[in-house]
Amino acid sequence: MAQVLMKDLNKKYDEVHAVKDVNLHIRDKEFIVLVGPSGCGKTTTLRMLAGLEEITAGEIHIGERLVNDLPPKDRDIAMVFQNYALYPHMTVYDNMAFGLKMRKFPKAEIEKRVRDAAQLLGILELLKRKPRQLSGGQRQRVAVGRAIVRHPQVFLFDEPLSNLDAKLRVQMRVELKKLHDRLETTAVYVTHDQVEAMTLGDRVVVMKDGWIQQVGEPLELYAHPANKFVAGFIGSPSMNFADVTINDVGGTVTAETQGLRLQVSPAKAAALRPYKGQTVSFGVRPEDVHIATGADPAHYTFDATVEVVEPLGSEILLDVKAGAVTIVARVDPTVRVKVHEPVRLAVNGDRLHFFDIKTEHTV
Amino acid sequence: MTLAGGGTEPPPPAGRPGPGGRRIRQIALAWALMSPALVLVLGVLAYPAAWEAWISLTDFSTRSARAPAFVGFANYARLLGDDWFWRALATTVLYLAVTTTAKLVLGIGFALLLSRPSRLRGAVFLAVFLPWAYPAAVTVIAWYWMLNPPLITSYSGTIAILKQAVDGVLGSGAWNFLSVLLFNVWRGGSFMGIFLLAGLNAIPIELFEYARLDSRSAWQRFTAVTLPLLRPYLALAVFLSFTTAFADLDNVWMLTGGRIVFPVIGTHAFWLAIFGGDFGAAAAWTLSLVPLLALGLVVLFRWFDPPEERPA
Repeated sequence: MAQVLMKDLNKKYDEVHAVKDVNLHIRDKEFIVLVGPSGCGKTTTLRMLAGLEEITAGEIHIGERLVNDLPPKDRDIAMVFQNYALYPHMTVYDNMAFGLKMRKFPKAEIEKRVRDAAQLLGILELLKRKPRQLSGGQRQRVAVGRAIVRHPQVFLFDEPLSNLDAKLRVQMRVELKKLHDRLETTAVYVTHDQVEAMTLGDRVVVMKDGWIQQVGEPLELYAHPANKFVAGFIGSPSMNFADVTINDVGGTVTAETQGLRLQVSPAKAAALRPYKGQTVSFGVRPEDVHIATGADPAHYTFDATVEVVEPLGSEILLDVKAGAVTIVARVDPTVRVKVHEPVRLAVNGDRLHFFDIKTEHTV
Repeated sequence: MTLAGGGTEPPPPAGRPGPGGRRIRQIALAWALMSPALVLVLGVLAYPAAWEAWISLTDFSTRSARAPAFVGFANYARLLGDDWFWRALATTVLYLAVTTTAKLVLGIGFALLLSRPSRLRGAVFLAVFLPWAYPAAVTVIAWYWMLNPPLITSYSGTIAILKQAVDGVLGSGAWNFLSVLLFNVWRGGSFMGIFLLAGLNAIPIELFEYARLDSRSAWQRFTAVTLPLLRPYLALAVFLSFTTAFADLDNVWMLTGGRIVFPVIGTHAFWLAIFGGDFGAAAAWTLSLVPLLALGLVVLFRWFDPPEERPA
């Protein structure tokens, strides 16, 4: 149990600057998720924390200790690898006991810890098997069990669910969450899957090109993305974007483009007024677009033509075209529309996002 | 090769061939494609081996004018009572044990050195690779001249003293035997290093990274992780070393200038056949190694590479 502190952390390879000035305070017992597209530096950050990569510049503290120059074995961490890294020549029991054996724990203690962890993960009956006799999900459990028995200060997870099929991934996700609630150990989890990040993380760190884009609780990232990248990365299907021009007619601020004219809510109007006459990037999430009803104010509605209908059962995704803009709307499953039909849609006026066209920061 | 075309089947009807005809043609094509390899295997491996097995049961000799006669297992029976045979066998086994052990240790060391990125990696790789890359005949002569200087050189006096000392203690010919050992280790160690490096590279890197997190020392990692994971490759490497040591003739012959005082099975068989003309007996000598090799193979693969432990 420990907090983790990263200060001005940098990693440079010969040609690539993989991690740039990462500053992150991971609280004790927190489950933090590093998420981003491949090449964003999330795995490199985790590996520096583990001690598997050298730190080019900056500091990492685990608990009270500066660990920059400590070898991995002395950092009191346990890591779960993407491909599980189970030893094919050892049984499940020996795989789980490996770290404790290497640390010369007494036999009885090893046995107790392995059995406790196996019980917790429901793999007691697999202890005598070899890894190749296990399914992907079972191997995953063994890899997690091997980390648990160590009672480390920090758990590190490197995309542990990415080799599982979709159904199993959802199941293991829930189990990992339960496990964390029970063990109350600080955990750092790397994934490229934003759903995993949102569901598992107490806080989520979104990274891109080596930079941290935003750190925050899942719903905070969703509702208040710091920039266009985070807005587009978090949420599925992802946010709709369009370039719009800001107008100010008699104090009413509007965002316009061909085929779309929406009023900006008073809350955002002040921030957008300086952009009068300029182009900004406008974003709206599919779930904030719906079929217009009489209750929707006219200045939040627009006309569009349906291009694709994707019925998913619990909802329908409509790809519509409004002027030159393509927008995905997530509508109620009872809605009946056909391709090429005109529809009138409305947006939730207080959930519109605007980004500076150059900096891509939220306005 | 006469099977090609499956001649016993009725030919397909004229015009469009039926499904049966198509199958026959596919089989014919398969045989045709295999035939170069088959010719090679049958002509270069199977036929000589069978011929050798046959003449080991005869008294075939180039010094005898009459046709070779079948003598059953007489050649083998004679081996068992031949002191030279037992001496050669002991030498062969010693040769094999010493060189294999030395090559294994060297090879693992080279492979580990080469597997980690470092500035010296290129230089080490070159040093390891060269002994193996040079033609054997050239290097053998270089070694022979180095250890038995044909000219007066700065160190030929030292070498002569050393040679006399070694021969004096271990018996005449010991120096030559030692030079054979050295050469085999020098050349084979690099091969084993490169072979085991390929093995190391085939093992997923996370297995070693996990060991770095969970073990206390490099020695622990080596014994608990690296060696067991390398076992299948070690088994193969040792077996290759076995076969070359058993079959070694050319290097021994060239390094000792044919003065075989410590004969191995291969050189003695060569002596018997080429200089003595006694092919029947020579064949029995070489074939006497087959059961030993087979036993070695079984033991090695049981010990090093139990089937249930191979990576999934």
